[in-house]
Amino acid sequence: MLVSWKWLSRYVDLPMPLAELESRLALSGLNHESTEAVGDDFVIDLEVTSNRGDCLGHIGVAREVAALYGLPLRKPIVDLAASGDDVNLMTSVANEFVAACPRYTARLIRGVEVGPSPEWLAGPLQAVGINSVNNVVDATNYVMLECGQPLHAFDFDRLSQNRIVVRPARDGETLEAIDHRSYTLDPSMCVIADADNAVAVAGVMGGAASEVTESTKNLLIEAAIFTPLSVRRTARQLKLFSPSSFRFERRVDPLQVDWASRRVCEIIVNSGGGDVVGGVIDTAPETPRTAPVTLRFSQLKRILGIDIDRDEVLRILHSIGCESTGEAAGQIEMQSPSWRHDLGREVDLIEEVARIHGYDQIPEDHPIAVAPSAKRPFDVAVEKVRGVMVAAGISEAMTPSIVTDKVDAMISPWTDQAALATAVPMLEGARKLRRSLLASLLHSRAANWAAASQHADLFEIAHIYLPGSTADELPSEQYSLGMVCGIDFFELKGVIDEVATRLGLPQRFEYAPLCDATSIGQSGLDAARFGMDPDWAVEIRSAGETVGYLGMISKRLNQSLKLTVPTVAAELSLGSLLTQADLVPTQQPISSFPSITRDLNMIVDESVRWASLETVVRAAVGDELTAVVYRETYRAADKDGPGKKRILLSVELQQPDATLTGADADAMIAKILAACDRDLDAKLLS
Amino acid sequence: MSLANFLQQLDRLEAEAASTLGEVADSEALETARVRFMGAKKGLLKDIQKLLGSVEVADKPAAGKRLNEVKGAIQTAFDEAKQRLDSGTTERQGPQPDPTLPGTPLRLGHLHPVTQTIEHLKEIMGRMGFTTAEGPEVEDPWHNFVALNIPEDHPARDPLDNFYLATAGATSGLEGSRLMRSQTSTVQIRVMETTPPPVRIISLGRVYRPDAPDATHFPMFHQMEGLYVATDVTMANLKTVLRIFANNYLGGDVEIRFRPSFFPFTEPSVEVDFLWNDNWIEFGGAGMVDPAVLASVGYDPESVSGFAFGLGVERLCMRRHGITDIRDLFSGDLRFLKQF
Repeated sequence: MLVSWKWLSRYVDLPMPLAELESRLALSGLNHESTEAVGDDFVIDLEVTSNRGDCLGHIGVAREVAALYGLPLRKPIVDLAASGDDVNLMTSVANEFVAACPRYTARLIRGVEVGPSPEWLAGPLQAVGINSVNNVVDATNYVMLECGQPLHAFDFDRLSQNRIVVRPARDGETLEAIDHRSYTLDPSMCVIADADNAVAVAGVMGGAASEVTESTKNLLIEAAIFTPLSVRRTARQLKLFSPSSFRFERRVDPLQVDWASRRVCEIIVNSGGGDVVGGVIDTAPETPRTAPVTLRFSQLKRILGIDIDRDEVLRILHSIGCESTGEAAGQIEMQSPSWRHDLGREVDLIEEVARIHGYDQIPEDHPIAVAPSAKRPFDVAVEKVRGVMVAAGISEAMTPSIVTDKVDAMISPWTDQAALATAVPMLEGARKLRRSLLASLLHSRAANWAAASQHADLFEIAHIYLPGSTADELPSEQYSLGMVCGIDFFELKGVIDEVATRLGLPQRFEYAPLCDATSIGQSGLDAARFGMDPDWAVEIRSAGETVGYLGMISKRLNQSLKLTVPTVAAELSLGSLLTQADLVPTQQPISSFPSITRDLNMIVDESVRWASLETVVRAAVGDELTAVVYRETYRAADKDGPGKKRILLSVELQQPDATLTGADADAMIAKILAACDRDLDAKLLS
Repeated sequence: MSLANFLQQLDRLEAEAASTLGEVADSEALETARVRFMGAKKGLLKDIQKLLGSVEVADKPAAGKRLNEVKGAIQTAFDEAKQRLDSGTTERQGPQPDPTLPGTPLRLGHLHPVTQTIEHLKEIMGRMGFTTAEGPEVEDPWHNFVALNIPEDHPARDPLDNFYLATAGATSGLEGSRLMRSQTSTVQIRVMETTPPPVRIISLGRVYRPDAPDATHFPMFHQMEGLYVATDVTMANLKTVLRIFANNYLGGDVEIRFRPSFFPFTEPSVEVDFLWNDNWIEFGGAGMVDPAVLASVGYDPESVSGFAFGLGVERLCMRRHGITDIRDLFSGDLRFLKQF
């Protein structure tokens, strides 16, 4: 809201310096944005919150100034001389859309001479950036910026049958507005029409056909109330916003409608001559008052923390226009002013008292009682996870949760259901709620390479949104840990194992290849869904539950991202991990007895995977087997024959309570070898 | 042993010691030489001293005198060598170590600055007894609007001001529709719906608003909101908590002020400013929880009251680290990330 200092001073004395007024207004709710000198005037830009439609006119701002400084407000008294005719005989208003237009008033002015505005009318408008059009249009703008009530003047002779119909727009009805653009309307919108056609979009903008021109002689003056929701929806739908729609959206003073109508007539006649026809058409002359509000003094202390003297409370409430309607022990009853739609409850009055009394009066030495608060296990877990990531040289990224179709399609290990989408895009056409963090991170890694030739090893911890089984179900949202790196596959796998260790999971992760070992690069993996190389894609399981995925990004995807080194990616469901985590480690006894380590060089079929071998080895011996360590794989086809490989591993044997003898160890090794032979046809290299 | 023989051995020892000690290049060599010549048990000087007993009695004075001379000479040579080494004037041959070469870089990752800010905020609020709470980012209109006293005709519910999900069944903003939450107050509603008062929480997380991205706006950002509902919670408590927060976060004695504002879910509502480096900095919004909100979660507004405040995490983060463009935070650019 642009406020002219000179214009404002028409309604209230301004003995204070400009800067002081700005600061005082800012600290009482009209935030000061800026001030500009215009000629010998100052134009102050005030931010008006959406509950204070009453301050969208100079009188409203003057009323605030008057309340803050204890000064009298000078609201102009309208003395309207009218002819003896009766407006009801010359026109009519049919309100067929009361839901959108609770009140419509019309006055007529005959014989007006449309022309340039006098300086006292055009000057203030120009100061606040409104171009002068003619004395009629300027008068409607002037009164709107004076009191906040939008007004419209129609060329009465261009209204078919000289009458007004307030009605829903017809489906497909079009209107050329005074901005000379054509708008297509629908029945949800309220229009002002004559006998045939729409002549204005109610509360938003008038039509070109009935616009006041220099040839206009007779005027119909509209002063009405249109409901905020109707005006806003219409303005939004048409993408047509006006100072008028802005004010109706924030509600106008219902008791001021008639004053504004008379005021604008007075100004038009003063500057353009003509006669105001006697009487007014008013579709709802009776405005019910709001119920009085009771304010208990004890509630001031309870909410604000301070006592405010009764007399001060009354002074403040009266200064903003409240009227006392009763008083009892410890409480008062107030009628809120008609221009304040935001004062319907006790707490609303408490805010007014606090605001005018000054928030600087509220002390800042009232501490709250101590209370225990602890980190959530989730936060403890995430902190540990972040620690592992950082130690592994992986940096944390934060990427948008809503991604483009292209990014969404890259990789989605968790689900093959289509992603949820927003109705309007977030960024660059991005509408898909991401189903995996990996696509975003791959996108970031590619951007890093493209922009700076750097291989970015990135992780992110954020929600992913897995669609429910039906479209209307809320998605399953879970915290996910995504990692995308240029390191070795097994290096990242080691990082993931460390996550399991740090979270105190009951068992080590199991890694189940998504692809059948015998049919290389083929079945078992939907490459489009996983975006991974089938030979290097594994599901991560913890205690039998799927908790994540790990794999090499497929060559095709890697190349399409223009990445020059192989990329390894993994994603873990933190929610699933947390249910299994034991975040407080318990000490395990350390055996003081020596251990025996034996190397075993096993010849196995190519199809035998380490995971199977390790499982068999571990199952063969009890707790005495303290470690199984993979050493290396190599092939000697000339000695072992084709289709065979050698896996070298070490086993460590130890007893918790006694020294293990060589004979004991030999017996255990024999068990291991027997099991390997039986289950995997694995033979010890002799 | 003959005197001549004895003296000859002493001469040889003296010469060898002089030569060795004259050339020692470092303290290690000096120590080796000391042990070799002057060692208390097995030193060469000690060995010769032991032979003194086998010298003719008549020759002993001469032998002893010479022994002492050599002993003194070796000691002097040792002292000189030590002094020379201590004063560090040795001229070195061959390649020289260069300890000023750079250290081997430690390949550590970096935590995102927003994460660091969030941890900082949680830590400060945790000390004041606030527990962290979270909730879903995809919300229904009840939690995002209705329970927060935002009626159906409120502009905040406009489809163009929110990221509604494109669902077939429901009209945006109405029952049955879904949207990306526009504030973390939704979490406060969810907590209050399931927890009797007192409630003392901060809710943290991503929120979504269709702002065109520029240096200070991004359609996704993080909010931290605080909520305290109990018997007799006042605006003076709110001001006190925020002042203590500011003192903690910004350091020093920070002045704080309230400016009236409007939010549907608080009444009174205020904007909170901090005076920092002689400038009033906008911190965020705050107020006393609106009785309608308390009632909507089943609390009795006559018996409990509460305050709430909310702030944008990115803004605090940017101010703290001198970041001038919010888009950098979400770029994933390692050149940016590794500065923190």
